[in-house]
Amino acid sequence: MKRRLPSIRKRLTRALVVWSILWGVAVSAAVWLAVRQEVDELLDDTLQASAGVLSGPLTNQAGANQETGGQTPGPIAHSPAPSGRFAWQVVQYAPHGQARVVLSAPLAPASALRDTPSSGFADVPGWRVFGLPLANDSRMLYVAQSHEERREAQLDVAFSASMATLAIALLAHLWLRARARHELQPLERLAQRLATHDPVNASATLGSAERTELQPVHAAIDGLTERLAHRLAQERAFTAHAAHALRTPLAGIDAQLAVALRECPPQLQPRLQRVRTAAGRLQRVVTALLTLFRSASETRPQPLDLAALVARLPIEGLACEMADGLVVTADADLLAAALLNLFDNALRHGATRVHLSTPRANVLRVVDDGPGLNHERRARLQSALTTQTYEGQTGLGLMLTDLIARAHGGALLLPEVDQGFAAELHLAPEHAIT
Amino acid sequence: MRLLLIEDDEILGEGLRDYLSADGHRVDWCRSLREVASYRGEPYDALLVDWQLPDGSGLDWLSARRATGDLTPALMLTARDLLSDRVRGLDSGADDYLVKPFAPEELAARLRAICRRAAGMGGARRRYGQVEVDLAARSVHLAGARVELTGREWAILEALILRAGRIVPKQDLERLVLGFDAEWASNAVEVHVAGLRRKLGRAIVETLRGLGYRIGESA
Repeated sequence: MKRRLPSIRKRLTRALVVWSILWGVAVSAAVWLAVRQEVDELLDDTLQASAGVLSGPLTNQAGANQETGGQTPGPIAHSPAPSGRFAWQVVQYAPHGQARVVLSAPLAPASALRDTPSSGFADVPGWRVFGLPLANDSRMLYVAQSHEERREAQLDVAFSASMATLAIALLAHLWLRARARHELQPLERLAQRLATHDPVNASATLGSAERTELQPVHAAIDGLTERLAHRLAQERAFTAHAAHALRTPLAGIDAQLAVALRECPPQLQPRLQRVRTAAGRLQRVVTALLTLFRSASETRPQPLDLAALVARLPIEGLACEMADGLVVTADADLLAAALLNLFDNALRHGATRVHLSTPRANVLRVVDDGPGLNHERRARLQSALTTQTYEGQTGLGLMLTDLIARAHGGALLLPEVDQGFAAELHLAPEHAIT
Repeated sequence: MRLLLIEDDEILGEGLRDYLSADGHRVDWCRSLREVASYRGEPYDALLVDWQLPDGSGLDWLSARRATGDLTPALMLTARDLLSDRVRGLDSGADDYLVKPFAPEELAARLRAICRRAAGMGGARRRYGQVEVDLAARSVHLAGARVELTGREWAILEALILRAGRIVPKQDLERLVLGFDAEWASNAVEVHVAGLRRKLGRAIVETLRGLGYRIGESA
């Protein structure tokens, strides 16, 4: 099973999400602490200012009320706190310390906010109070605001600040995510260019790097391409040389044997014929090897009529059966070499006929009527082919056939059959095989 | 047929020369292009040319020969098996292209095929009246009965069939059939033509006095 690789984009996105949340929470906490202090001070200033504004008119009214027997005065004209956010009381303190509310706003509590005369700010249960003595009197003005209202004001401010911070974090996250995506696009374009890059073609270049960080990658790929092209050129030169050095003597050996067969005494002919058969097998192996050397860069797949292809192959002693009109897409030379090797294997293992079929698109199955393999041997062979650990496990024929299938982007499989030996050449890329 | 074989490999060249000679062909074997120069002007039924030779390219040599208007059928023998090589070989004037290693039987069959094509023949069998000739099987039947020909008689008959419709001068026939350095009597061609007429009927070979011989289409 293919291991899923981490994605740079996903990792960046995840990091950005986490960073945005942490940043939003941290900034919100900082805002909460700062706002709490500032709002407290602001509200206290307001309490103090309200007390100052109220003290003037209330001094007179409180005095009048005292004269009328302590009745609560009617609504104060031009109330300095019409919104009802504040409550106030004018408290009269008796010489023995008893406190009596002589004037109060409707929202104010009925009892005195403070039992003893107290100037300045203080917190009493449920209220924040600012006390101010009224002029030349034993009365105190208390302006108060409920703790609940102050908390509500603090929460409103903190909530707004947090929302703004989170909105900024969200926008920053989206922007950074888009930026990350944009910055990763040169990598995608590089991958696309690499997919169609031909290292053998000297005129094909990757082009200049789009980002400074990609320059080393471009340089490394260019270096690799150069080394690969050099290696390919060497291999081609070797193959061309080897082709001439091997093919010509092989043709000469066969020509000499053909002449010798005609000229030799009859009793020698079977022996010479065996030598010629062996030489023919050697020719096929050498041809397949030479073809394979150039297969990686020069495979030329084309639709092939299997019957026509097989008709050209020298397969004396082996009957070949197939349905009419079988077609596979493959390199003609390579497929011919693969089939020759399979046929040669079949002959050497005592088969007298082979059956060709195409069970699926671009899959060629060859089944012979030889003794076949037992389950363990077949599994070992298949494992060697799959892992390409040919040495000591498979013969040259199967190795060549597997390499030829791989040169087409496929593989050689050895399915189990009831009778004989079966080989399946998967000539299509792996993802196309179902 | 008279063939010019240009092949520098001793084992292959000798093997092909002997194989084709045993098939009844006259083979002039050259190991280099320098050696080929000594055969200039000789008539050949077909050329067998190796691409890579010690003193040059057989392909370039063939290309130059084609440029002079020479249409002798040519078969390229080479170790180069790339598609581009095959295309280049055929485009340079080769009538066929055979990649080494090959079986001499295939070479002989392709040789017959390109010679038949050059002669405008579709198949290996030709009928002249009651005479049926199979160039592939090298057999002749007269009214259904097999007729045995000598090697020279067969060579003359084959040379005339491959030049059907054309007059073949006696000197050309001598050089095609008897070979460049063979010793022959001055009336050798007449003797073998007479032998052919005796076995296959007079009409099989027409004599055009002072000009040469032609296969008898109306035989």
